[in-house]
Amino acid sequence: MTAALATFNQVFRGRRLALLGVGWLIIVAIAVVFAPWLTPYDPLEIDPVARLTAPNAEHWFGTDHFGRDTLARCIYGARMALLIGLGAVVVSLVGGTLIGMLSAYFTRLGHVLMRVVDVAMAFPALLLALVLMTILDRSVTNTIFVIGIVYTTTTARILFGMTLKLKNEVFVDAAVVTGAGHPSVLFKHILPNLISPLLVQATFIFAFAQLQAAALDFLGLGLPPEIPSWGNMLAESRVYVTRASWLLMFPGALIILTVFSMNLVGDALRDAIDPRFKDDIAGV
Amino acid sequence: MTDPLLDIRDLKVHFRIGKNWPFGSGVKTLKAVDGIDLAIDMGEVVSLVGESGCGKSTVGRALTRLEDATDGEVRFKGKNVLDLDRNGFRPLRADIQMIFQDPFASLNPRLTIEQTLAEPLRIHGLAHSAREAREKIAKVLQQVGLDPSVMTRHPHAFSGGQRQRIGIARVMILSPKLVIADEPVSALDVSIQAQVLNLIRDLQRETGVAMLFISHDLGVVRHISDRIAVMYLGRIVETGPKSEIFANPTHPYTRLLLRSIPRPVPNAQRKRLGATGEPASATNPPPGCAFHPRCPLATEVCRTKTPPRIDLGQGHIAACHHTDQREAAPAA
Repeated sequence: MTAALATFNQVFRGRRLALLGVGWLIIVAIAVVFAPWLTPYDPLEIDPVARLTAPNAEHWFGTDHFGRDTLARCIYGARMALLIGLGAVVVSLVGGTLIGMLSAYFTRLGHVLMRVVDVAMAFPALLLALVLMTILDRSVTNTIFVIGIVYTTTTARILFGMTLKLKNEVFVDAAVVTGAGHPSVLFKHILPNLISPLLVQATFIFAFAQLQAAALDFLGLGLPPEIPSWGNMLAESRVYVTRASWLLMFPGALIILTVFSMNLVGDALRDAIDPRFKDDIAGV
Repeated sequence: MTDPLLDIRDLKVHFRIGKNWPFGSGVKTLKAVDGIDLAIDMGEVVSLVGESGCGKSTVGRALTRLEDATDGEVRFKGKNVLDLDRNGFRPLRADIQMIFQDPFASLNPRLTIEQTLAEPLRIHGLAHSAREAREKIAKVLQQVGLDPSVMTRHPHAFSGGQRQRIGIARVMILSPKLVIADEPVSALDVSIQAQVLNLIRDLQRETGVAMLFISHDLGVVRHISDRIAVMYLGRIVETGPKSEIFANPTHPYTRLLLRSIPRPVPNAQRKRLGATGEPASATNPPPGCAFHPRCPLATEVCRTKTPPRIDLGQGHIAACHHTDQREAAPAA
């Protein structure tokens, strides 16, 4: 515990903005866990009488065109945001690590696999996600997988380069000379040395996954419309933007704050872990 | 006469470098090791000496299969190990071990010393329980002059000399038959070079392990070796017992190396070295004797004909057209 605190202190000392980011993410995390107790309204409960009410003491964030409470929908939307962010991080890190690491280690496999990755990277992230989502149904799992796959390519690229460097390290030679086989070299000697960059990569993927998910929702290709998510709320509010601008402001502000916070934390982590990557890794 | 422990016959390691058109100016072959013969007996310490880029480290890397040999034979206990595939060679890895040059790069920064030293035991099934492994690790740490309590720490907590001791422990824990020491002290501070060198020599004498000691420094080699092989541009130019090489160096290149050992004599007049210039390129070696562009004895025959290996007795062999001559300026 003390060790964790010391690391935290080391990463965030003198980075006030990043600390603010951590603060905001903690608030989001609390909202996610305690969502049912934080709001007196059900996010799906329709109240036609109170439709399109401006923010007031009863509905802090106002209501939408069905009279649903925007605050409740925002808080439940945070659940989706976190779920999709974490899901995409897991999918892309697992996929990207395997592809990148194996491609760099087994050169011939790499010639094939990395060309596939290059082709996938040639598409803009959103376009690739759109194409994949048009093929698949709108659902939470599909959204997670599609966003995860999109960012698998960048993760694979980064891990490919790092593994190329690591596999020529003398300690890898030393392991081979003692008789270590491929799995042992890969998972005991190379992978542990990739953990720090992976951690940094995770924060950026999380942030970009939020934007991607919101964009997909807005275009009507992400989560099913009945699920309260920040992106879906934005999509529904566009018709009422002149009459009920709060419908656009609150979810929009939440997306911006969350993405910005995560990027700040990622920057701080990256600088703390290795100053050499200062201008390097953010090219997601 | 019994078979030597290790018998290298006509070993060649060639690298293809460069890229073909349109990405580069063509593929060239770099002949890092171009046909060397060398034998090491049980318990013998043979030193391989030469300047940077002469291929001496590549020999070590080929013997441990870190580099693929292009041609030749490496017989270890009578069996050609170059014929074995990766899995077939693995059991032999316990017998052929390597000490690396850079102790800062040769230990995985993420593993504790105990994890690093337990790995060879696990791979070769030399410890049947965690306790037995820990006992062996403690014992080998003591052997290399470290306190067993250090095993819980990570490499960053150690100095270069201590790290090299850990590297030596990783080798000795397997009780190998042959140790390849690739410039084991050249990355260390001069003040601790002698300590580590003495440790290697003491361990060698205690265990009777055979050793191929790779170095660019004949001064270091003098303390430890039984026999010396001098390498130039991928070939062995002179080989013989240590006393012979130091007392009676025959190849002009060996004499050049001997004269470049610094001497602790104040105000000693520095004799001009008999040879000058940089070593020739291994991608485009000169015809005839590769040393001829730098050699003070070079004549027409050196420029055209590869020198034969001339046996000078007592296992002293030199590859030179002019073994009967000395340069005008005698060895200092």
